[in-house]
Parts: sequence; C-alpha cells; structure tokens
Amino acid sequence: MRVRVGVDIVGVDRLRRLLVEHADALDTLFTHREQSYCLGKRRRFEHLAARFAAKEAVLKAFGTGMGQRMHWTDVEIINEVLGRPRVYLHGEVARWAERKRLADLDVSLSHTEGWAIAQAVAVWNESGGGCALSFD
Amino acid sequence: MAIAREEIDSKVQEAVAAALGVDNEEATPDATLMGDLGAESIDLLDILFRIERSTRVKIQAADLAAHIQGGIPDEEFGDANGIITDKGMAQLKQAMPQINPDELRGNLQAEKVITLFTVKNLADMVAERAEAGAG
Repeated sequence: MRVRVGVDIVGVDRLRRLLVEHADALDTLFTHREQSYCLGKRRRFEHLAARFAAKEAVLKAFGTGMGQRMHWTDVEIINEVLGRPRVYLHGEVARWAERKRLADLDVSLSHTEGWAIAQAVAVWNESGGGCALSFD
Repeated sequence: MAIAREEIDSKVQEAVAAALGVDNEEATPDATLMGDLGAESIDLLDILFRIERSTRVKIQAADLAAHIQGGIPDEEFGDANGIITDKGMAQLKQAMPQINPDELRGNLQAEKVITLFTVKNLADMVAERAEAGAG
C-alpha cells in the first residue's frame, strides 16, 4: 500500500471572477450534478470553489496535474445524503487511476467567505503515482 | 482567413496580462507563465478562455499537456522516479525551443516541466492551432 495526499486552496473571488467573465467556464469545470448541488445554495461560489479545490487536490494526490486527455469534469465531487463529499472519477482520470491500481480515495472540504480548501487522500495498491505533466 | 502572427502574439500577451492582473510589459514573450508570472491553474483557465474569445482558437488545459508531452505515454516521458527521459527531453525541445536539454537532463522532474512554459510557447501553440484551423 502507498498513501499520497493532495491539498489545494482557492480564492472564492478568483473563481467567481472566472465564472462571471467566461460563460463556458461553469460547464468546463463542473458536472451537471455538481452545478445542481451548488447553484441552489446561498453561498454558491464558496461551494463551487471548494469543489474546484477538491479536483485540484485529487490530481495532486495522483501526482498527475491536468494530464493529457483529462478534463476537470473527470473528477466529480458529490455530497452523500448526510453531506459527506464523495469522489466519482470519469473518463481519462478514471482510466489512469485504474491503471495505477487506486484502492481508495477520500476528500474533505471546507470554506469561509473568502477561501475554500480541500484535501484528498489516495491509497494505492503497490507503487502508485505518476510522472505526467502537472499544472500545480 | 488565418489571423496574423503579430496579432496572435499581441492577443496572447493581453490575455496573460489581463488574467494575471499585470502590465502588458511584464508579460514578455520570454516570461514563464507559472514561474516568472506566478500563474496558477485557475489563472491558466482564465488565460485560455480570453485567448479563445479574442482569437477564436480553443485550447483546453489538457491540450497544453498533450502539446508539451507530444503524445508520448507517461511511462516513456518520465522514468520511474518522474525524471524526464531522453525521449521526453527531445520532445520538450520541440515544444519549448528555449530550453537547454544539456542543463536539464537527468534533473528535470515531470511535474516541473510546465514551469518552463513561456508566453511565447503559448503563442506558438495558438498560432499552430490557428493555422490548422484555417487550413
């Protein structure tokens, strides 16, 4: 077993500016399920920023950053009924994780008015991690 | 009609400066986006959206990695310790002609490659895409 962690912090106003100035950014970054959850909240930008931080944290824990053919929506953060966030992997990120024998993955999110933070923990069977390009 | 190279250089410089909140003069062709200019991934997204708006050339974050890595599989691009291989280094020299492979060989971690990517490298990529789109 090998454990790797990733953490990321996002300025809520920075994400808000990105989403307000670029109409396509919402669909580029967030799945429809993520949008449905966050956009109904009073503090929608805090929730979206926490999810963006979580996506970054997961990719950091994987050691890949945004690699070839990967999309932000390949890492999806969905809250369970009692509120606990759970990670769903799709597309190229899911295939990469399977190739590297990902055994378990967990995230934790938090946010205040100005900042959102997320931590991810990835557990691999044998030696996981990768050497693809990283943007973090 | 293809957009002129000078116009691409100017649009990329403007996009970088606006997204990062710096003067155009700071976003020089040789400045590295994530090193010299301190861009983070969210800034990179902002830059790419601005470039798309001003040049109609769409580039996604994953396209940058693919452009730099040149389609080489991860296992051949970096060794087991994440150090760029000779094959990877040859590809990097194509995508980022300003680098000196002799200085970097054996020391360059894959995760640090993107810190070498400059404003001009991005403009080159936009010009390449614009030409392909126009053709």
